[in-house]
Amino acid sequence: MAKTIMIVDDSASLRQVVGISLRSAGYDVLEGCDGVDALKKLAGQKVHLIISDVNMPNMDGITLVKEIKKLAAYKFTPIVMLTTESADGKKAEGQAAGAKAWMLKPFNPPQLLNVVQKLVLP
Amino acid sequence: MESANRIPVASSAIPASTLLVRAGRLQSTGFALFSGAVIWGIVIGARNGATAAAVVATVVLVACGLFLDRMRARGQSAAQGAAAAFLEGTEFLGREVLPVWGAHIENSRQQMESAIASLTQRFAAIVDRLDQTLRASNQGGDQGLAVAFEHSSNELRGVLDSLTAAMASNGAMHAEVQQLGRFVDELQQMAAEVANIAAQTNLLAINAAIEAAHAGAEGRGFAVLAQEVRKLSAMSGEMGRRMAEKVSVIGAAIGAARANAETSVQREAASALASDGAINNVLSRFRQVTEAMEASSDVMKQESAGIQSEIVEALVQLQFQDRVSQRMTHVRHNIERLPTLLADSRERFDRSGMLVPIDAKALLGELEGSYAMADERATHGAGAPSSAAAPASKLEEVTFF
Repeated sequence: MAKTIMIVDDSASLRQVVGISLRSAGYDVLEGCDGVDALKKLAGQKVHLIISDVNMPNMDGITLVKEIKKLAAYKFTPIVMLTTESADGKKAEGQAAGAKAWMLKPFNPPQLLNVVQKLVLP
Repeated sequence: MESANRIPVASSAIPASTLLVRAGRLQSTGFALFSGAVIWGIVIGARNGATAAAVVATVVLVACGLFLDRMRARGQSAAQGAAAAFLEGTEFLGREVLPVWGAHIENSRQQMESAIASLTQRFAAIVDRLDQTLRASNQGGDQGLAVAFEHSSNELRGVLDSLTAAMASNGAMHAEVQQLGRFVDELQQMAAEVANIAAQTNLLAINAAIEAAHAGAEGRGFAVLAQEVRKLSAMSGEMGRRMAEKVSVIGAAIGAARANAETSVQREAASALASDGAINNVLSRFRQVTEAMEASSDVMKQESAGIQSEIVEALVQLQFQDRVSQRMTHVRHNIERLPTLLADSRERFDRSGMLVPIDAKALLGELEGSYAMADERATHGAGAPSSAAAPASKLEEVTFF
């Protein structure tokens, strides 16, 4: 059974690029356009990894990580921050919130798959 | 807070309207002092018997003073009007023009996002179709084709083996039929021997009857016995003759069967030989076709890998939209702050009559604070786009926590 990965980004084209990369590798993909939308769409279903942008409307990526870590069902779900944000301070915030990796855009699809394969839940 | 953010020029300069008022007051005071001094001189001169012309000159001087005072008031009013008009213009810029600029930027950003999303979707479709084609190619061609070839070859060889086995079986049957022919010959020989024994028995019975007749009455019983033996002998002879006939018929049938079997075996051998040749020819042609298809499949796989590599690179480059969109959003948000600042400036002037410029440094600080990308910060520092400040396609490292 295919594993499910959620991509959260306010850019539709970025979500599509990530979606193409993941689906071609055999993953199922869930999409959220910001933190609030992501929390709504998780809705208790099994997700093996979450990839999130940082700067988004309604709820940013760092807050989303904090909210997800409060949920028992997703406490151990690995989260990768995929962002243009390069400030060390923001990176430290992400780490403190509980993210597992920080990847800068633009990303290379094989590089993203490499990160996913390292972190995705069994 | 606001006073702390003022540009130094504003804090050190006295508001323009205040300057005008103060200048007017100084001018008016000087003129009054001058006029008073002239009048005082005239009064002293009159006391000393001066002429009426001096009094007229005094009146003219007073009139000039009043006229200049009125002109100064008019100038002050005009300056205040110009300042108000300037502020009204800048407020109009903030209220009417800047939102249009912002709307154009946002519209462009949305159009770009929509177009790139559509373009990406098309790339996704290309990737899907390429994957499907490759999967079909792998199933039907290359390994799939080789497997099909081996499978067909084995089946055809199996048919040939079955044919050869059937031929061998027919050969064995032919040998059995030949063996039967030899048995028939033996049976015929045995039937002839039976007939011969019957004939000799008959001869012996005749001799016995003759001897019985020579013996007279004592040999009468033996004569009867000899008679019965002759009958048995005749019956045996008849049986031997019938056996010989039947064996002869069987022998003829077996001979015909043997001839047919020989013909069949020869035909089957020829047929098997022809089948073997035909199968080898078919397999040879099939092999040529599969080899050509395999070569074609290899080329297709190489081309597909090349296309996929190109698509991966395109997917990287398409992410420029995300970066450009963020830059445009940051600039738009900064532009959207301007109308409020301009309106505040106008309100402050209306309220206090002070001309205070908008806090451009704070606005620039807000813009800088909104940056997310290193190249945004580099552009901000450089003040203009440069090759070093726009590494849009540079791939960054991943940090694992």
